[in-house]
Amino acid sequence: MSAQHNSAQPKATIELKGVRKSFGSVDVIHDLDLKVEGGEFVVFVGPSGCGKSTLLRMIAGLEEVTDGDILIAGRDVTDLDPAKRGIAMVFQSYALYPHMSVRENLAFGLEIARTPAAEIRRQVEAAAGILKIGPLLDRRPGQLSGGQRQRVAIGRAIVRKPLVFLFDEPLSNLDAELRVSMRVEIARLHRELGNTMIYVTHDQTEAMTLADRIVVLRDGRIEQVGSPREVYENPANLFVAGFIGSPRMNIIDGTCLTATRISIAGTEIELDRPMPARSQEAIKLGIRPEHWSITDRQDNALPAQVEFAEYLGSTRYVHCKLANGDLVTIEQRGGRDAKPGEDLWLNCHRQALKIFSMSGEAR
Amino acid sequence: MSNRKSATARRRLFAATRYHTIGLFISLLFVAPIAWSALVSFKPSAEAARPPLPPWPVEGFSTQSYENLQKYGVGIWTYAGNSLTVAAATVAVTVVISLLAGYGFSRFKFPLKNVLFVLIISTVMIPFQSILTPLFLILTKLGLQNTLPGIVLIYVTLHLPFSIFMMRNAFDAVPKEIEDAARVDGASVFLMLRRVMLPLVLPGVATVAIFAFLASWNEFLAALILLTDQKKYTLPVMMAAVRSGQFGTIDWGAVQSGVMLMMAPCLALFLLLQRYYIRGLTAGAVK
Repeated sequence: MSAQHNSAQPKATIELKGVRKSFGSVDVIHDLDLKVEGGEFVVFVGPSGCGKSTLLRMIAGLEEVTDGDILIAGRDVTDLDPAKRGIAMVFQSYALYPHMSVRENLAFGLEIARTPAAEIRRQVEAAAGILKIGPLLDRRPGQLSGGQRQRVAIGRAIVRKPLVFLFDEPLSNLDAELRVSMRVEIARLHRELGNTMIYVTHDQTEAMTLADRIVVLRDGRIEQVGSPREVYENPANLFVAGFIGSPRMNIIDGTCLTATRISIAGTEIELDRPMPARSQEAIKLGIRPEHWSITDRQDNALPAQVEFAEYLGSTRYVHCKLANGDLVTIEQRGGRDAKPGEDLWLNCHRQALKIFSMSGEAR
Repeated sequence: MSNRKSATARRRLFAATRYHTIGLFISLLFVAPIAWSALVSFKPSAEAARPPLPPWPVEGFSTQSYENLQKYGVGIWTYAGNSLTVAAATVAVTVVISLLAGYGFSRFKFPLKNVLFVLIISTVMIPFQSILTPLFLILTKLGLQNTLPGIVLIYVTLHLPFSIFMMRNAFDAVPKEIEDAARVDGASVFLMLRRVMLPLVLPGVATVAIFAFLASWNEFLAALILLTDQKKYTLPVMMAAVRSGQFGTIDWGAVQSGVMLMMAPCLALFLLLQRYYIRGLTAGAVK
């Protein structure tokens, strides 16, 4: 029934206009602009301390905005209380009320809003049905497992019938297996409810699998906004290139020789397309681990020495050192095992090669 | 095999016996004075005044001391009532103020917050006997000298630093995200305090209440100095008056029965709130 209700609602957009946040003299969010479309699932990722949680809390109204405006569904909510913004939030530590039963936890927000008892009952039952926590309604949070607690926390968000769901690292306290199943659950929830959702995480897998669009943040600034595929395949700069993808993209120093020829670690490589760099300009090259292959000696191949190899079952990671001392990681799916100390020849797939200027921007 | 088993059993039995014997001995040491008081309070008055061995009544069980106590002055129930009123009022006022102050100091930002907090805590360092005279003068100016509300105000003032400290710690131990969740749910400051925070800081409240009750129930000096009307005495002051019988003799029976009477509410309250009290003291110690 919640799904019906929400499909009747217009899907809320979120706009951040020149949003800034400072704690004393320290700026944590710098003049940030972002527009989230209605019904979109947007994930904020970034290293710890990049301001992603602070930004989410600003949208929620739990953190004051130093400067700028926040609009939800076209309405300026910058100075509104969290409860009046049409949002619901799920916290990393669940933040359930420990002294209340699951039912009371779900009903608390509605009670404050003076919803009639029958209506509260109906909504609590409906949310419990969606999340399959019906049998737990009379228990206390202390008697639930981590996964059940997080379900209740999500249920508490659902009963508020918000325009926007905000998730602050909701799966970080769960063990690996549960994290995967809850991730699927959250994706299902987004499909069923169709609300706009913003999700903060430092886990790339969560970001890649859940997001319609990923917002990569660093030091309170947006580094790139794009679909998971755009962010992975066309990183806007070296930071995004290194941050998205595991193991990380290999970054190697190189020099541009002609428009279609570059030199990496003493080896000259012919490119398949002309390159937007000046002759003799120093550049950085980004090549993902899966875009290498181990070959026989040939032109264009780079000599490398194996440092160590990791066996992961379906795949192997070979960590090598190039002639110029740069370390690269190669994903190997077939062939024989590489041994530490062994000399290899590496071939990089030229069409997948990313070129960055020395200052880090993609070319 | 069976030999080894019985050896283990014997060793365990020996260890258990030793453990319980020592434990029993130590608890006897602690119970002895109380038991002695109780036994003496049931001796007839004349016997109670004689050298105290054996401690139990030999000339028969008597409630004479309790009757003497009851008849003293305007009657024991007036004094007990005074004491109870003062203690209850002290507890109520202290809990309300320290709850609000603790919440404020723990969760709100305001200028000079830490300075104010240290200032409040530092008043513990002033021995209260040294400020009795100014307190007396202030109460006289306010027209509260020789009144129960006056003495309640004094007790509240004395207990507030510890209580506020205690409550701030209790509030600090509540995770901030719970408060955030309540704000998202639409709780106002006072609704949040009542419905969300209060149940979570209840152990702290119990601790503050026990301390305030015990201290105000047993307080002697301030009550002796500030209460001059015999009808307004609290139990400790009345006990001091009962003690001196005719010609400087001491009515030990009455004293011991008074001790028993004064002890009862403290014990009852402590047993009632014990569970919370221990949790309150250790709140925030781990995690």
